[in-house]
Order: sequence, then C-alpha cells, then structure tokens
Amino acid sequence: MTEAENTFNKNILIAVDESENARRAVSYVGQLLGGLPGFKVAVLHVVPEPEDDYFPTTAQREEWLAKYVQKIEALLEECRQALIGKGFDPKDVSVRSTLRYCPSMAECILAERDEARYSTIVVGRQGLSRSEEFLFGSISSKIVNHARNCTVWVVE
Amino acid sequence: MQMVARWLPPHQMPKRFRIHTDTSDFFRVDYDDVVILDNRPYLIRHNAKELRFGLKDEIKHWVKRVIDLEDGSLKIMKLVFYERFMSRVGGIEFECFRSPKKEARILDLVSEHRNFMHGYAKPDEKGNIIRVLDFIKGKTLATHVSRMDMNHETYYHEHFSRILDQFIECIQAIRFLHDHGEKHGDIRRDHILIDQETGDYRWIDFDFNYRHRENIYGYDLFGLGNILAFLAGKGDVLLQDLKKEDNPCLDTLSEADLNIVFHNRVVNLKKLYPYIPESLNRVLMHFSRGANRFYEHTSQLLNDLGEVKALIRPTPDNPEAIPPI
Repeated sequence: MTEAENTFNKNILIAVDESENARRAVSYVGQLLGGLPGFKVAVLHVVPEPEDDYFPTTAQREEWLAKYVQKIEALLEECRQALIGKGFDPKDVSVRSTLRYCPSMAECILAERDEARYSTIVVGRQGLSRSEEFLFGSISSKIVNHARNCTVWVVE
Repeated sequence: MQMVARWLPPHQMPKRFRIHTDTSDFFRVDYDDVVILDNRPYLIRHNAKELRFGLKDEIKHWVKRVIDLEDGSLKIMKLVFYERFMSRVGGIEFECFRSPKKEARILDLVSEHRNFMHGYAKPDEKGNIIRVLDFIKGKTLATHVSRMDMNHETYYHEHFSRILDQFIECIQAIRFLHDHGEKHGDIRRDHILIDQETGDYRWIDFDFNYRHRENIYGYDLFGLGNILAFLAGKGDVLLQDLKKEDNPCLDTLSEADLNIVFHNRVVNLKKLYPYIPESLNRVLMHFSRGANRFYEHTSQLLNDLGEVKALIRPTPDNPEAIPPI
C-alpha cells in the first residue's frame, strides 16, 4: 500500500451497441458480479448524432433518429433485464442513452465516464481484422489507450 | 438563342432547346437543353464520364459539361443524385453515400485554396443543390505518372522530389479539410488534377462520404497512403507483375511487405528500389500488413514526410535530382 493509492468505487459502466460483443459484455458483468452487494451498473448507449449529409431532408433525418432511439431503448431494456436476471437488484441497474456529436465513439464514451465517475468501463471486443482496424479504427483499443483514472475491461 | 449564338459556331447551334428550372429528374436534362440557375443560363453540352481503372468509362448522367451563357466559360454542373450503397475495399464492406450538401459546404470552405477545385452551389427552384464547378484543364496525377516513359531509377532521381513536394501540399489540403471537420471521402490518384495553367495539384470530387466508425479520417488516410505508394513506386507494384517478370526480389518479400488492405500490392519498396531512403520506406510501411501503428491524423503523416523531404534534397547539378541515400 502506498499513500498515492487510488480509490475505486463499485460503479460499473457498460457501453453497448447492437452487436453480439456488447451482449457478451453485459452477460460477463452479470455472471461475475450479479448478487454481490455494493455494485451499481449503468448500461450506456451513445447515439451518434447522424450526419446531416446522410439524409436528403431534415424530415428523413428525424424519422431515422426516432426509429433508432426506439430500437436502442429496447436494447437497453433487454440489457437491464439480463443483469437483473443474473442477480442484480433492479435499483442498482440503470440505463442511459445520449445523443452526441461523435467523431470518435471512444471519446464520447470516455466523456460520459468522466461526467458520471465510474471506476470501471466494460466494452465488448469488436473482433476487427487488422485491415478493418486500420481503415476504421477500433473503439475498444482507443478506450484502452485513452482511458485515465479508471479500469477498462474488454470482453472477448 | 442569341445568347447561345455568342458562344457556339453556327453548325453547332441547336434548333430548339428546352429550359429547365427544376432538375430533379436529371435524365431529362439533356444535350442542348438550358438550365436556369439563379437567373443565370447554362447550356448543356455533354454528360461527364469517369474512367474506372481498366473498365469502360462510366457515364455520370448527373454530371454535365455546360457553357455559362453569361460569359461563355466552360463549367461542370453537378445535379443532385442521392445514392447509398455498400462499398467493398479489400473484402471490407462499409456504407457510402453521395451528398450534394457536403460538396457545397466544402466548395465554400475551399474557395480560396489553390489545391482544390473551385465553384459554387445554388439551389434550383425545387431546392436541389446544384454545384457549378470551374473547368480544370489538365491531366490526372495518375495519368501524369503512368505516362512518364522512363525507368524507375531515372524517375526517382529526376522527378520524384518535385512530385512529392506537390503531393505534400495535397496532404496539407486534406489536413485543412480535417481541421474543419470534413472528410474528402474519395481519395484516389485520379481525383487529383494537375492544373495545366498553374501547375497546381487540385483535389476534385468531394460529394462522396462514408459512415465512419471509430477513426473518422481513417479511410482518407488510407487513400493518401495508396497514392504515396503509387508515386514512390511509379505505379502500383503488383505481385502478379513481379511474378510475370520473374523478379528476383520476389523471394525476399514477405506478407508484412504488402499493403494492409490490398494484399497484392507491395509497399516495402526499398526491397525493389534500394535507393529509396529508409525514412520514406518507413512511412510506406505504416500502410503495410506488418505495421504496428497506423496513422490517425494527417499531421502524423506530414511530420514523417517532413523528415523524408529533409533527406531528399535537389543536387546543385540537377535542381530536381535526388541523391541516392
């Protein structure tokens, strides 16, 4: 033990998208920590603000966004139920989706963490090939490289 | 009729023409028609064609060559064509789309920048964002380099330094876009035109966009790396060509020497051309299968190329020559 020892809270942030990897991350946290006292889990989905350029009209953009948000609400509820099913008290599981301008999803997730002070971030590994990582970047790699004052779990 | 007659020889004069103020159906906007945009008339001459590598020219019905009937200047007019599709690069699929809004925004942003095409955007009466572009006379960078009739060593020592200087300007231009939150979206060696009047290298065609994932500019950087390898190699150095010519270097190549996405292209060019400096080869290797780190920003690429330029200096005898290193 040293004087500079960090103190970590028992708040866990799981960042999810619609992928199987994200579901595995939720399942992992459920299996590992479900039923243990003191842990609080927040399941987060960052909705990347859709680029205006992608839509011919504003109405189409709004329609797309409404459908997307509906889909994400269902996903988050599914995650919440999965955690409760593994033994978490419902009051210790929260879900949150937030609309952000996201040139980098990793930075958006880290910004959310900074605002809410979770000691642990959990993400699923995307399983990208090297070529894909080169072309489009990896969210989990960037979170691992850029996270400060927290621990990152990348679930395979 | 009188306005048209000012700019066309009598034998090319259309007998009649249709006038369009709504260009929504771009197939209806045809040769010899006139489009009125913001009270300014443009006579349609041809549909534009795009040369695809090794394939037949693709006619782009939404892109027209026009004459501005106010001043007689030749312009390119891009009508609105929204399309979304899945693109495949080296087996990787990603979503692409065309956006007139994006191109209009960038035209505004780069109106004073000499390394981009210039023009303006105006809505037609239905709100379609039409882009009117200055016609750039000149060859593409791809054609320019491909047609240089000399061996690699001569090309490298006598021409590469100057071409690299110009290409570095092009990368700086892309950094300018990125600094303003914009992607080019379709970086290819035939999307740089060498302006015949000024000699400037100028980026064209920025209506393309892709749905980025984590690294917003990764695909743009990939395009820059491909062009750099093309320029340093005086063309793509393809495995199949090396095999065909039974090149002795073939035995020394490993998978790590190949392009990270196009696995038939060699990027470790120093193995073929030993006079290429290590610093340049190191840059190329960032785009290889053996790379440990990838470029995420144009500034990283520019920094490394700055070191390359410090080594590749013109000699006093030949101001364009590069001494072997």
